[in-house]
Amino acid sequence: MLEVDQITTRYGAITALHSASLEVRAGELVALVGPNGAGKTTLLNTVAGLLRPATGSIRFEGNDITGTEPARLVRAGLALVPEHRRIFKDLTVEENLRLGGSTASAHDRRERLEEAADLFPVLRTKWTTSAGYLSGGEAQQLAVARALMSNPRLLLLDEPTLGLAPTMVDVVFDLLQRLREQGRTLLVVEQNATRVLQLADRGYLLRTGNIVATGTGADLAADNSLFDSFIGLEAHGREA
Amino acid sequence: MTKLIQTIVDGLGVGSTYALLALGISLIFGVMHLVNFAHGELITVGAYASYFFFLHGGSWWWMPFVIIGSAVLASVATELVAFRWVRNASPFTLLLTSFALERLSHALWQIFVSPKQRAFPKPAWVFNQFKVAGVSFEVMDVVTIAVTAATLALTAVVFKRTLFGISVRGAAEDFDAARLMGVRANRVISGAFAFAGLLAGVAACLILMRSPAAEPSMGSDWLLKAVIAAVIGGLGSFTGAVVGGLVLGLLETITRAYLPELAVGWDKFSTAVVFVLIAVFFVIRPDGVFKVSHAERV
Amino acid sequence: MSGVNAGLLRLTRSTLASAALVAIVAALAMAYTSGGGASRDSLIAEMLSNFILVLGMQVFIGNTGVLSFGHMAFAQIAAYATAVVGIPLAAKAKALPDIPFGLDSVHYGPLGATVFAIVVTIIIGGIFGIAVSRASGLAPTMITLAALFVVEQLVKNWKELTRGAGGLSGIPRLEGNGWLWVGAFIALVVAHLFQETRIGRFAIATREDELAAPALGIRLFSARWAAWVVSMGLIALGGSLRAQSLGSVNPKQFTLDSGILILVMLVVGGMRCVSGAVLGTVLITAGNELFRQLGDPQRLDIERFPDLFLGGTMLLVMLLRPGGLLGDRDLAGWLRRRTYRRPPPTGEEPRAGSNTLVAAEIEVHFGGFVALDGAGVTVRPGEVVGLIGPNGAGKTTLFNVITGIVLEQGGRVTLGDRELTDAKPVDIARAGLARTFQNLRLFKNLSVRENVALTELVAARHRSHRVRPDADTLLADAGLTEWADRQAGTLDYGNQRRLELARAAALAPDFLLLDEPTSGMSDQESQAMVESVRSVATRVGAGVLVIDHDLGFITRISDHIVVLNEGRILAEGTPAAVRANPLVAEAYLGSSA
Repeated sequence: MLEVDQITTRYGAITALHSASLEVRAGELVALVGPNGAGKTTLLNTVAGLLRPATGSIRFEGNDITGTEPARLVRAGLALVPEHRRIFKDLTVEENLRLGGSTASAHDRRERLEEAADLFPVLRTKWTTSAGYLSGGEAQQLAVARALMSNPRLLLLDEPTLGLAPTMVDVVFDLLQRLREQGRTLLVVEQNATRVLQLADRGYLLRTGNIVATGTGADLAADNSLFDSFIGLEAHGREA
Repeated sequence: MTKLIQTIVDGLGVGSTYALLALGISLIFGVMHLVNFAHGELITVGAYASYFFFLHGGSWWWMPFVIIGSAVLASVATELVAFRWVRNASPFTLLLTSFALERLSHALWQIFVSPKQRAFPKPAWVFNQFKVAGVSFEVMDVVTIAVTAATLALTAVVFKRTLFGISVRGAAEDFDAARLMGVRANRVISGAFAFAGLLAGVAACLILMRSPAAEPSMGSDWLLKAVIAAVIGGLGSFTGAVVGGLVLGLLETITRAYLPELAVGWDKFSTAVVFVLIAVFFVIRPDGVFKVSHAERV
Repeated sequence: MSGVNAGLLRLTRSTLASAALVAIVAALAMAYTSGGGASRDSLIAEMLSNFILVLGMQVFIGNTGVLSFGHMAFAQIAAYATAVVGIPLAAKAKALPDIPFGLDSVHYGPLGATVFAIVVTIIIGGIFGIAVSRASGLAPTMITLAALFVVEQLVKNWKELTRGAGGLSGIPRLEGNGWLWVGAFIALVVAHLFQETRIGRFAIATREDELAAPALGIRLFSARWAAWVVSMGLIALGGSLRAQSLGSVNPKQFTLDSGILILVMLVVGGMRCVSGAVLGTVLITAGNELFRQLGDPQRLDIERFPDLFLGGTMLLVMLLRPGGLLGDRDLAGWLRRRTYRRPPPTGEEPRAGSNTLVAAEIEVHFGGFVALDGAGVTVRPGEVVGLIGPNGAGKTTLFNVITGIVLEQGGRVTLGDRELTDAKPVDIARAGLARTFQNLRLFKNLSVRENVALTELVAARHRSHRVRPDADTLLADAGLTEWADRQAGTLDYGNQRRLELARAAALAPDFLLLDEPTSGMSDQESQAMVESVRSVATRVGAGVLVIDHDLGFITRISDHIVVLNEGRILAEGTPAAVRANPLVAEAYLGSSA
């Protein structure tokens, strides 16, 4: 469904991604893990159209979407739940959701608002509250619900458990499982590498802008040298 | 007592106009981080449009539509022609760009119409007076306050209920997150400029009904006060703009009415006093009363 | 080079540059006036007084980056001050019978009147400048705008002193343009010299980056206020000379419109350098006059054609070349590069300081969110401590608490026996903590050498008890010598990072605080960074506290590592111990469901 082919993305003088490639097939849950600063967010942002790669291409359902505006991608069925959630704090929960569904018809939007309230009951209790007053867990649920409002076939999630308490982390992983059961395709960047790899069909390890490992979720999760790969020792040998 | 009520009514009248203009300025600042010094030129556009139409048989029954329409068009045009090209420039550059547009506008009116004032008729009922409980009011006072209240109500509805309004507010808070929702950048910004034009157009109607004349630099005085009101209220805050405008209007009329009594011989300095107070305010509270926060990444 | 010699060199450079510019303009002026009559002379007179006003604005706006609309107000004060003491007593008694302050018996000749005007304006302007320099964001600009209107109102209404809207005439006029040339030359020398003084260079640093400058020990308020006061002097000179050139003053001379004209002159040429201001003035004066003649009834018959030229030019410059035509290309700058003499190295070996940096029991919460819950870190003299932890662990917050950017709700920060808990960034820097930024905050338009030399200046006064390596030594260490004269923003990424490191080191700090120095680097570049950091730290005898996500880098460079998680210390110890600690791996990778 998604083919990322050797993209290189730059921020001014920095090259954040070096010819990174990955693939997500329909119905899969693919995990993207790696240390901070590796370029995971850059990769998702490039796919979602916020950044333009200097070289390489991205294909979604067979169509070339390299450098396409995010607004067009949302209409095409691709949505991103960004890092730090980026919910609109000055808007109410309902307004956030409506904005998420701005590309849908009024009728579809109404329907999906109902579905969102069903899927995330806690949001129904805070419907007219300013989003700035939500707790971390509630905000994360709002961010996902908001992205779902456009009924995406491919959902990108950037660190959905960031800053959440352990019970909320469980909730989020349950949610990922449920979304997958709904038939959505998911590409998830997660700090909690062990856990997301156990859930994922396949995974990629990104470090300093390069994909350094890939395999099925189970294989990567069981890999004992995963932490060393995180640190980067396998490339330079044991540290004295 | 009657003097106090009259002063307050006057203050609210002037303040309403400031509030409408300040709202437009805050709106544009919210989406573009630009303090638009060319915003006052929209009043000038409305004035010259009126002058032109009155020359060819105009009437105050439909003039407001012309005024508002021309202000909206002009506002959107300035974005297309100038501001779009400097969208991500430094605040300094943005400010000077809007300034350049203002100067350019003055020059163009001077050259293509006339540097002199061009007058046209006012509505017959404007200065008609009536009395309530011994206090005399002008029809225009009532019209001003009513129209402003209606416009503010409209603004509230648009920005709280319509998808367009919600998109603008979202974009003002986090532009990239709004893009991720499917909001189209250019439309939001053009829309914000259009609505700001609407607000300026309504303000222009109120101004022109009282003093129906077109002059190249008429927008500047209004603009300045509007900017001050918007900044005092807190740039980007709707409540702030409205409160700032009303407060400024009241401050002006009250100092003009009462300062001579409080300090003999100081009536000439009332405007100066207002500006000194403003300067002091900015030292104490540089972000305005209703601060709109933006995260600073270190 | 001794202080006196250095000062003389600066004065000579400024004088030379000013003389060169004056010569060029004089040549142009002579060519122009040789063809015509008195009207051309008065255009030159107008241009010259504009020159001085432009330079007055350049000293403040160009060097601080703060836009001021109100400078004309102070030119107006100077003009009226000149009138009030310059008009002969008899005429003054008739025009201003009720003049206050005992001015009815005061009369000065041209020089005295000018000096009087400058002093008065500096005093009034200086007080005003305190408000402008303290404010931040858009507020300073708004305050200057307010000044414009306050002064306008005062001039129009304080009739006893100003005769209101009618204005005052009868000021003894200057003969010819001689004194205007002198004034222009003096203004040029002052403007050039200011950019070479310590406080002038500091002002320029605050213009480049408002956050980095205090972090290196540069106080925002002092630098801005100094620039303001000097600009008041020049603007007063301009206002006074204009009044004496025209022989009269009235409120219409110094309106917002005339201020815009001066602003356009400043911005078109390039406000950051004096040469730009000069170029802008000449071009706009010429263009203005050209359009005025074109708009003459005998030709195109367009009234106020010059206004179109002004508005259009400013718009074009903003859209196409916001830095102005010259940008940073300055005659004086060129002279500086040609006459640069490297000071002899002191030859002393740096020793590590004796102060320990301690942050203990730090508590920070933002609203309901607890960022730090009793975390802390200790860095001993000469030690390298790495601070790591997963995203959201609180590392950056702890860093920002130590460097004074974030206020803590509990805990203490001390350096040796000095309390830094509530100190501001600028004082923390002067106490001996120099930091770099995750987002790289170099002074991009300034040269590579100047970036480092600025901190050197701070160290010379506030870190004099320490051995301070000079800028060129630090540049050589970082491998940046060949780019010393290039603009910092043109360097490639790795070199920019090393430059930021050298800049922090020039403070001769007790500790270097590095915020993600390898962010965005490849594995190879990170390796190289280990060496760069070690050598710089040894060169200045500083300890290091470093945050980074590249655990390989941290492992290689640190003597001791502190691991944070959820606002608390999770583990600490040697790199080997930390790496072997299963809790650390778990914090980074997460645990199974």
